[in-house]
Amino acid sequence: MKQVLPPGMSAAQMDKALAAMARVVGDDWVLATDLDRDTYLDHFAVDESAHAAAAAVAPLTAEQVVEVVKLANTHKLPLWPISRGKNFGYGGAAPRLKGSVVLDLSRMKKIEFDAENGVALVEPGVGFYDLYDYIQQHKLPFWTSVPGNSWGSVLGNALDRGVGYTTYGQHTEKLCGMEVVLPTGELMRTGMGAMKDSPTWNLYRYGFGPSWEQMLVQSNYGVVTKAGVWLMPAPESMVGLDLELDKPEDLGWAVDLIAGLRRDGLLVQSPSLGSWLRGAATLTTRKEWYDKPDALPDDVIAAIRKRFNIGWWSVSLRLYGYEAVNEAAAGVIQAQFAKQTSQPMTVSRWKQGQPMNPSPGAAAVAGIPITFPLANAAWHGGRGGHMGYSPVLPANGKAAMEQFRRTYDRYKEFGMDYHGSFAMGERSVINVNQVLFNKDDADMMSRVNRFFRALVADATEKRYGEYRTHIDFMDLIASTYDFNNHALRRANEAIKDALDPNGVLAPGKSGIWPKRYRDQRA
Amino acid sequence: MNALKQLLLAAGLIAIATTAASAEPDGKALYTHRCGMCHQGIGMAVQILSRRPGDPSKGLLEQRADLSAEYIFVVVRTGTGNMPRISRAEVSDPELTAIALYLSRGKP
Repeated sequence: MKQVLPPGMSAAQMDKALAAMARVVGDDWVLATDLDRDTYLDHFAVDESAHAAAAAVAPLTAEQVVEVVKLANTHKLPLWPISRGKNFGYGGAAPRLKGSVVLDLSRMKKIEFDAENGVALVEPGVGFYDLYDYIQQHKLPFWTSVPGNSWGSVLGNALDRGVGYTTYGQHTEKLCGMEVVLPTGELMRTGMGAMKDSPTWNLYRYGFGPSWEQMLVQSNYGVVTKAGVWLMPAPESMVGLDLELDKPEDLGWAVDLIAGLRRDGLLVQSPSLGSWLRGAATLTTRKEWYDKPDALPDDVIAAIRKRFNIGWWSVSLRLYGYEAVNEAAAGVIQAQFAKQTSQPMTVSRWKQGQPMNPSPGAAAVAGIPITFPLANAAWHGGRGGHMGYSPVLPANGKAAMEQFRRTYDRYKEFGMDYHGSFAMGERSVINVNQVLFNKDDADMMSRVNRFFRALVADATEKRYGEYRTHIDFMDLIASTYDFNNHALRRANEAIKDALDPNGVLAPGKSGIWPKRYRDQRA
Repeated sequence: MNALKQLLLAAGLIAIATTAASAEPDGKALYTHRCGMCHQGIGMAVQILSRRPGDPSKGLLEQRADLSAEYIFVVVRTGTGNMPRISRAEVSDPELTAIALYLSRGKP
């Protein structure tokens, strides 16, 4: 990728700013060749060039981040911070605003571990594999919670409200205490950390006065250089209850039943009801099944289900903790399901002292990092990709079924294979869709954008909003949060202008534009 | 290929390969740490490469004899199929050189 520049900046100005940053991080860590720019493109994007970076700067320490951010202010240079840049389906490492310089924090990999309290204080470059390996090497009695793509950053995932599958799976809720470089280059600590040398920085979330941590999640108000992450104590036992549901409409009662278990607190993790393509797209490619361009028809769906012996929906519940408690809870849960279906649940049991060798599909629920689910990107053969579409619904079966039917029809209308799941929260359900596409199929790629916009329009009509989205659609999704003529966006941008008067930090992130670039809103 | 040769020369790959790689950095250890999540065990890339028609043996790169360092270097930086491009911040040129020589068994 040839040189690209942010709006209003000349090549000479860019060169001058990068030269100044090189004096902070070292020449080796300003990455500005044509090939370097390519390495920060989003390989899943419909149009990769739309979000090309001008360069990347890769500091090693928080002190270097401070200096780089100050220089960004001096030179009026927009920065796009990434932790490890593995947010595939949402933009990867690429910036929202073309010509931004990626502030690549992947070299910052320090881990400090408080084994008494089960808290890891991690820098942004620490990946799930790094943290898992650290825990194993030091024989610490804690489990990580990992997402389906564990290649990424522990901190970056939590800062984008990513999820895992254990009782600590709501990653953003397990953040406690952050160190942040504000957009003007001031180093701040949140919560109890605002008191110098406080021993409770990573133990009590709120401190005194307003709590800033969620303000730093999915925002562009600061660069998080380290944060405390709470970890689940290694349980005495884990009990698994897996169920295959035969019919699409089984989704309704299953959502109602699991929602009740979540509200009760009997089930603390967030299971996901996933459709038949989840496994098939990981283990096979489409041409084994069907050679026409329309969405897979019912007979092919039946063949896939038969071969893998799976339901229309599959769901895995997991209980963690003391064995006696798990066994009692499992009994109650099985009895509740038995009222709805004659299909028995497959029960699995693990206890401390037994070897932990889960099947690939059961690794993530045991807190073991994985990447294999992303093999689904190759479903169509060729260069594949996926785009996340994830509206938030109330936790009730009727709403879930209506959402499923509406969305399923849209997949068929646009000739896309249905790839949806319903992730059960305490009071809500997130309908996660991984729209799988083939970048070598021009006709299909021409449909992706219209398909996505149709899905958003349908959800917005029901007043459902997305919890997270690709950089292509951040303005679109922000526009759907429209109470009182977008009062929230006005507040977000008032705060942005106060904290970031030069508009240097992640312009356009989550639809929040600083005054300097507000005309760039899509 | 001229541009590619320049790229490799710039990275020191050819120079290192022809003067016999020193003991450091450790290509095998780097491969496990930087690439293993996708290219070892049940990783994403093992899944994808193993199901290529007619040749499941392609899945594990460490068992292959058909890889050259040059090819690995280019694939890592430019991506291929579903593999994203890897930046120099994540795997530096000297680290990538060591990994490429390890996988190619010293073949530049």
